[in-house]
Amino acid sequence: MIWQWISKLASLKFTLVVLVLVGTGVIISYRSEGTTTWALALPLFLFSLNLFAAILTNPVFRRQMPLLMFHLALIAIVLLVAVGRLSYLKGRIELAEGEEFSARLAEVEKGPWHWGQLDQVSFSNEGFTIEYAPGVQRGKTVNSVRWRDEQGTEKRGVIGDMVALSVHGYNFYTSHNKGFAPIFTWHPDAGGPSVAGAVHLPAYPRHEYSQAQTWTPPGSKSNVWVMLQFDEVILDPEKASEFRVPTEHKLVVRAGEERRELGPGESIRLPDGVLEYNGLRSWMGYTIFYDFTLPWLLASGVLAVGCMAWYFWRKFSVRPWN
Amino acid sequence: MTAGYELQALWAALVLYVIAGSVAIFGVVLRRKPERAVLALLFLGLALHTASIAMRWERIGHGPYITMFEILSSNIWSLLLVYTLAYWRIPAIRPTAAAVMPIMFVMMGWMLMSNPYDGHAPSTYHTIWLFIHIGFAKVFMGTVLVAVGISAIILLRQSRYHGGRFTRLPDDKRLDELSFRFMAIGLIFESLMLIAGAIWAQDAWGRYWNWDPLETWSFLTWLFLIFSLHLRVAYKTTPRTSALLVMAVFILAFLTFFGVPFISESPHKGAV
Repeated sequence: MIWQWISKLASLKFTLVVLVLVGTGVIISYRSEGTTTWALALPLFLFSLNLFAAILTNPVFRRQMPLLMFHLALIAIVLLVAVGRLSYLKGRIELAEGEEFSARLAEVEKGPWHWGQLDQVSFSNEGFTIEYAPGVQRGKTVNSVRWRDEQGTEKRGVIGDMVALSVHGYNFYTSHNKGFAPIFTWHPDAGGPSVAGAVHLPAYPRHEYSQAQTWTPPGSKSNVWVMLQFDEVILDPEKASEFRVPTEHKLVVRAGEERRELGPGESIRLPDGVLEYNGLRSWMGYTIFYDFTLPWLLASGVLAVGCMAWYFWRKFSVRPWN
Repeated sequence: MTAGYELQALWAALVLYVIAGSVAIFGVVLRRKPERAVLALLFLGLALHTASIAMRWERIGHGPYITMFEILSSNIWSLLLVYTLAYWRIPAIRPTAAAVMPIMFVMMGWMLMSNPYDGHAPSTYHTIWLFIHIGFAKVFMGTVLVAVGISAIILLRQSRYHGGRFTRLPDDKRLDELSFRFMAIGLIFESLMLIAGAIWAQDAWGRYWNWDPLETWSFLTWLFLIFSLHLRVAYKTTPRTSALLVMAVFILAFLTFFGVPFISESPHKGAV
């Protein structure tokens, strides 16, 4: 009885049904806005059952080593994708120049089995340059970073396009998101230490004409509205240029009814303290990715294709092409 | 000046392709065998097309993979390169040129209507993985094109319009087997294309798969290709059914490679 069921699960006709279900799952996932993991998980589970059953029951796998290895590699891929989805982490952060990563992510998406060591990651953004071709076409990103490796040794290096920072299994990638960050120090009336903070203005040049942001200084209850104004052309559409902070600028700060234009070193009084403007820096957006299955997934994929090629080579070399 | 030579070489190549295709079609219609002339014209056209692409690459500093004009030009080149090699090495399938070349004529016309502006290569495109990814994709499309040519002959021979013009080709069963071989090679290269693309995407954007339009439709094409090969084995399909499946895979692959850019700002949307 059980053997009959396994034989049914192993049939090529069932493989066809499963392939249609996987295709349907892909289309559902592609078209849906919400979470549709089930649409792919269910057919992939059936696919693994089909492969397992085929290996158990079909004698061709005993005769054809490449075919057996190909199907085993496919099972490994499905299992690794499942484990990867359960343990992955994908996130986004923004760090101003000189700022340390604090393990607080602006956006995060992770699997239920992600018990990573993000809080042990120590790295800081030491500034970046981005070349632009005429027409404001983004070119090479060169971002200097400082970090501590797994042994606690401090290291310095450069990341950017195609080069990520890898610490404790987490990969940090520079993104196209970057902009300007006015730096402040908050001196609370209630005493205690002064605290530094950065306002990350909207991404530049994408939001070139809306360089304003509402912000609450760390430890304060008052909101301020901050707007950056400058006249110089940073990214010239007519010629090659480089992303940089403007040499001359005005920072408009509005707190309640009061509106002030601040330069570096100037401050504004808020109901519960004094906010001092220290100067303008840049911020960089990073994408974070963690998935320990990646090297295994790659190895399984290469093994599957290699075995498929081996199988077809043997099959086709029996009879000439012409 | 270089742009002038580049365009002249491209036009000369296109003219040679058109002559080769026309000679192949007339050869079938008039029951002649102008195969050596067709082969020579195709190789000469490819040499000039290669020179044109190389001059453009040298002038603008990036390969032919950014604008629609470049994508079409490089695909005409790669499709014809794979097809010409098959035409040269497997004489039995040479009359398939009468079915393959009209497809190439359509692509050439489309290329001539597209804007040949220079375009800008994003910094994440400066990687060896892009070339590997695109190279595998081109071999995949080329092998499927050869299978399409063979399948077209099977379908034409079963229609009432062939007038006995394809009788000197191997029988349908043998053609079907040849077509299967090319589809199997296509499957290997499409799988490699997906793997190389995932490596590139991981390095460039921190995710190996993101279900963007091109990724999704490439995966669906791969799935449909596997489905068609399994269907053939599971149901022992007739040569006619297998040929129709090959056509369907080609249409899906064609729409993926050349249709997705119409619904996406870049080959991989947002991934620049």
